[in-house]
Amino acid sequence: MPREIITLQVGQCGNQIGMEFWKQLCLEHGISKEGILEDFATQGGDRKDVFFYQADDEHYIPRALLIDLEPRVINSIQNSEYRNLYNHENVFVADHGGGAGNNWASGYHQGEQVEEDIMDMIDREADGSDSLEGFVLCHSIAGGTGSGMGSYLLEALNDRYSKKLVQTYSVFPNQMETSDVVVQPYNSLLTLKRLTLNADCVVVLDNTALNRIAVDRLHIPNPTFAQTNSLVSTVMSASTTTLRYPGYMNNDLVGLVASLIPTPRCHFLMTGYTPLTVERQANAIRKTTVLDVMRRLLQAKNIMVSSYARTKEASQAKYISILNIIQGEVDPTQVHKSLQRIRERKLANFIEWGPASIQVALSRKSPYVQTAHRVSGLMLASHTSIRHLFSKCISQYEKLRKKQAFLDNYRKFPMFADNDLSEFDESREIVQNLVDEYKACESADYIKWGMEDRGKAMTSEGNVSGTLDSRVPAL
Amino acid sequence: MEGDVVSDLVRQLVVRIFPVVNRGGGGGGGGEEKNSSSNVVSSNGSSGQPLRKGSGAAAAAAAVVSESIVDRAHRYAMRIIGSRISPSLANDEGAMAEAIKRQLVQENRSSDALTFADLHRRLSLQSGPGSLENRWSLLYLLRAISDDQRRERAETRGTAFPYTSTLSAPAVRGGLPALPENVSRSNNFFSLGEQQTPTAAAAGELHSQQHSQAIEPSSGVLILSKDDGDVRAAAVAEYVEIHQTETEVTEMALVRDIVYACQGIDGKYVKFNKDADGFLIEETLRVPRATRTLVRRLCEVGWLFQRVKNHISESLEDGPLEAIGTVGQAFCAALQEELSDYYRLMAVLEGQVHNPVPFMLTSDGMKSTGSYLSLRRLSVWLAEPLVRMRLMAVLVDDCKTLRGGAMAGAIHMHAQHGDPLVRTFLRRLLRQVCSPLFEMVRRWVLEGEVDDYYGEFFVVAQAVKAELLWREGYQLQTAMLPSFIPEPLAQRILRTGKSINFLRVCCSDQGWAQSAADAVAAAGASASGGSLGYGETEALEALVVEAAGRIDKHLIQIMYNRYRFRDHCLAIKRYLLLGQGDFIQYLMDLVGPELVMPANTLSSFKLSGTLESAVRASNAQYDDSDVLDRLRVRMMPHSDGDRGWDVFSLDYSVRDPLTTLFTEEVMGKYLKIFNFLWRLKRVEHALSATWQTMKPNCAIARLSLNEEGGGQSQLTVVLRRCQTLRNEMNHFVTNLQYYIMFEVLEYSWANFLEEMEEAHDLDELIAAHDKYLGSILEKALLGERSQLLCKTLFALFDLILRFRGLADRLYENAREVQARSDIALREKAKRDAPKARDGQRRLSTAHLSGDFLGSMGEEMDGLAVEYSSLLEGFIAQLPAQQHVDLKFLSFRLDFSEFYTQQHMGMSTSHLRILRNPLKNTRPSWEKKCG
Repeated sequence: MPREIITLQVGQCGNQIGMEFWKQLCLEHGISKEGILEDFATQGGDRKDVFFYQADDEHYIPRALLIDLEPRVINSIQNSEYRNLYNHENVFVADHGGGAGNNWASGYHQGEQVEEDIMDMIDREADGSDSLEGFVLCHSIAGGTGSGMGSYLLEALNDRYSKKLVQTYSVFPNQMETSDVVVQPYNSLLTLKRLTLNADCVVVLDNTALNRIAVDRLHIPNPTFAQTNSLVSTVMSASTTTLRYPGYMNNDLVGLVASLIPTPRCHFLMTGYTPLTVERQANAIRKTTVLDVMRRLLQAKNIMVSSYARTKEASQAKYISILNIIQGEVDPTQVHKSLQRIRERKLANFIEWGPASIQVALSRKSPYVQTAHRVSGLMLASHTSIRHLFSKCISQYEKLRKKQAFLDNYRKFPMFADNDLSEFDESREIVQNLVDEYKACESADYIKWGMEDRGKAMTSEGNVSGTLDSRVPAL
Repeated sequence: MEGDVVSDLVRQLVVRIFPVVNRGGGGGGGGEEKNSSSNVVSSNGSSGQPLRKGSGAAAAAAAVVSESIVDRAHRYAMRIIGSRISPSLANDEGAMAEAIKRQLVQENRSSDALTFADLHRRLSLQSGPGSLENRWSLLYLLRAISDDQRRERAETRGTAFPYTSTLSAPAVRGGLPALPENVSRSNNFFSLGEQQTPTAAAAGELHSQQHSQAIEPSSGVLILSKDDGDVRAAAVAEYVEIHQTETEVTEMALVRDIVYACQGIDGKYVKFNKDADGFLIEETLRVPRATRTLVRRLCEVGWLFQRVKNHISESLEDGPLEAIGTVGQAFCAALQEELSDYYRLMAVLEGQVHNPVPFMLTSDGMKSTGSYLSLRRLSVWLAEPLVRMRLMAVLVDDCKTLRGGAMAGAIHMHAQHGDPLVRTFLRRLLRQVCSPLFEMVRRWVLEGEVDDYYGEFFVVAQAVKAELLWREGYQLQTAMLPSFIPEPLAQRILRTGKSINFLRVCCSDQGWAQSAADAVAAAGASASGGSLGYGETEALEALVVEAAGRIDKHLIQIMYNRYRFRDHCLAIKRYLLLGQGDFIQYLMDLVGPELVMPANTLSSFKLSGTLESAVRASNAQYDDSDVLDRLRVRMMPHSDGDRGWDVFSLDYSVRDPLTTLFTEEVMGKYLKIFNFLWRLKRVEHALSATWQTMKPNCAIARLSLNEEGGGQSQLTVVLRRCQTLRNEMNHFVTNLQYYIMFEVLEYSWANFLEEMEEAHDLDELIAAHDKYLGSILEKALLGERSQLLCKTLFALFDLILRFRGLADRLYENAREVQARSDIALREKAKRDAPKARDGQRRLSTAHLSGDFLGSMGEEMDGLAVEYSSLLEGFIAQLPAQQHVDLKFLSFRLDFSEFYTQQHMGMSTSHLRILRNPLKNTRPSWEKKCG
């Protein structure tokens, strides 16, 4: 019962980052591109069966489902060196191969239609595990397949595997540059609703921030997707090290996530990583004491979520929880000193309504991957400033919605048929609610927060009830 | 040619210096009157004894044949000049010449004086190859002779009894004996007074000792005696005479008796007196008191001798061997050897008693009472044996009750003496005494054998089971530890032999023999022959250090390599101290449902099966099968009402020889730690499971969002209360775990590894391991001094588990409510209008959960209050625990200073605010509902 985790990679972006993730895992576990265990990889003390299953003694296969509505990315994977890594039965490409056209509604609708096929695949994988811990979904929230079909899958998983954990690695679109996907605010909002309601833990990967990091920190003028994706895969693999290298604590995803997410709604995590490198410049030597790593992790420039907060708001922002996963040769006795320094310098603000601390998990580093740095660190944190990212989504949505732009594409699909745009309104409401809850977390009176709302909720009762009908069939 | 000149000069000198002026061929001077008077003296002063024939010769010759004296004096002078003898007096030729001149002037012989000065000068001028070296001696001789003659003349004038003039006696004797060729001639002139005999005899006796050669007439060596010697000799002679008149028993007899007494035998006069406990001269005899005392003193040796001899014979012949032991035997042998030296001395002395020296006979043929061995001489002879004998007796007395090492130690204490004589003597003795002891040490250190049949060694073996061999098998017996072996060295010796035995018995290892051999080779030849001895403590230490180093190293290597001590420690850390997280997790998952059952219904067989599947499911499966085989389930003794959780435990079975390190006590400690960690894990596990029931994507979470209303709002609040409480508990538990991991387990382990590296012998290894275990116990609040804290902690754990039950109930009900309302909703969605549906659903939800939520809320509040107060108590107690570094823990728990702020006045009001709303909401909701 290795507490297996099944990875679903949906859409173009999802498959790309998923691909990078598996590359990284194979490297770290000493598994070749064909899925064969390398000769040298016998004494790693690692746990491969969380993410892989064994076809035979030496053949490891990822517990991964590759799902897309268009064949381009998946074909490239199947033509790559890694084609034999995956179980071919776990690859789903829509028959028509036409994709979702960057339309959430299309993706969602197609998901609905192929639900049976996909759920069969999922069930088969789940049956193959002794004690399934949960699912990891890799997708972007802006496109069509990842967002729409991903949303549908989230709901379906929630329905069928309500007791399993669902974690997502969700790539948020780059909002600094004009996207070729004009409807991305719609897609984002609609997906955000599902992420709020149907996911247990969302690791936010903000393309804006990833680009910024690539440009500012890695000095790559025009970062490619491959480059930002390698950052993502680093984060993904680092955040799963404690599951893959068992130690005294944090050996399961639930345990990991449970201490990060005190209240269910605030389950959006941001990440930070140091030292940041991409393959080509792995030679940058940095100070790598525990303190240095932990301090850098708290610096905004290393965090992979953009902060749209204004200064005043930024000072109000608080950490709800922090988990630092530190990999490499670390003297455990240094941890305490580092924590002490961080507290002395008040480098992190914490919520006032409950106890909080920086948790530190020390994890082994893969013996098969040579890195220039001795110690690296990943931060997973729940921070109230993430609400500004959602606010931004809402405001962008509202800009479009005010103009009633591009809605026709959505009306073609059943959910929005008959000009029923209540799904948009409800999503907005839920995301707004999320923003409010994060805001409430910044105050010491968060615990009373629901109470104050009561009166208001009573009055708005009529409004809400009107929107309920359309939602019911969707469930 | 030159020789003739000198001879002539000397002759002239003789003539000038001599007061008797009857010159033959040499110059003139001096009166006839004086010459005749000197004749009288000469005839008195000479001895008739052939042996002494030369003593008075000069005077006689001067009187009878004036020419011959000058002649002989001249010859003597020439001999002196030709001889190489160097005088014992300071030679100042000038002063001597001056003195002679003055003398001559005083005697109104100024012409002689002038002539002397001239002659002396001419003599001095005779330099070069044939120079005269002994001019001063010559002058001294001549002056002495002339002085003699002069003085005797004066004495004869005063009193006719020359005996009173003891001072002149040496002068008489010191006169000029005839030179060999003159013997026959000078014999004629010997005619000495009878009354002089004692003096001559006494003087002769003294003389014979110093210059026995001079006694022979043919030797022809001049005997010079100093004036003070003459005085002493005279005094002795006088004393002897007085002494003889008082003594009934002859000295010789006494001497003989004493020699007997010295061998513990009663003599004729000297007998052992029981009352006085010593040898005494019989009371009835008339003996001077001084002699009596002297005898008594001399006989002390005999008394001591008896003691020593008795001890030896008692020990060697009569006593049981066990009582003496080999060291005692060695001691006796050493004493015996000393005694045989003593016997040898006695034999010599006895021989001398029986063979009086011939020249002791007096001139009249009567046998001398003074034999060669006088009492006094005997006391000189016996002085050193006495010291030795005394020492031996003291040792015998001291060591009577002692055995083995203690005996050697006692003797060693005596050897710490300033007197080098005593020290060397005792050293010699100790060397023998200690040899069996050192042999034991050698065998022990190199072969691990306790070669000790009589309990003399300072290492005592006890028959114990193999696992106790190291800790209890061998003890140091301090009573038997000789003081010259310092305690640390003794410990080292003990450990070395123990290591060998441990290797042999527990590890069935033979490799140590090579190590021992190497050690011998390295320690050098001195040790190899087994000839370690007393006084070579450094050699001993070198051997022991060498042997200990190698054997300990070997032992440690065996422990590490063959018995894989480090691996087992690591295995224990991974399994008993929960280091292998995934394994523990599966075990918890699998075994959890079982453990809820009452303890007496559990089957340990079934649990073992579960354990196995946990192993197979986790990474533990890759561990060494040897390690996994040792891992088993252990059920603690249980009492009524115990649940499985209370009695379940993991155990790690260790076999010999590792049981020496992992004793039952140690394993008990490990189990204690395991139980604590297991409980902690269980609590964490429970909280994790609770989170899963309330996890974000659960329908119930949406419920609160979607359904806005009075009941829902209350539900929201109760749920949030539940969530934050869980968060608080989770925070506590995780941070406690982090503390346990970083500050306790890993920290102690790192230290342990370091100390393991440095441990050179098994004792150090054991100490390091005990320290490791102790530090974990202390820091994990399991120590004696943190019992209160630990109790609070367990109360907190129980509370958290209660919370888990409560939360489960809450969510289960809430979910039920929702499920029901959902079904209702769906059903109604099919037929009813939306508006009616909404109202109804809300009603049903409210109806079903109203009372429940209220009671839930209250229960939750109660729990929260209890938890807060317990936690506050716990945190408050932390700083009071000064013995461990719990500041780490309090630092972690209060990292965001949440508790500090809460504590600062906020705490009470804060809690009240938190609780009150719930109570307030209920009535308002009920109102609505009603």
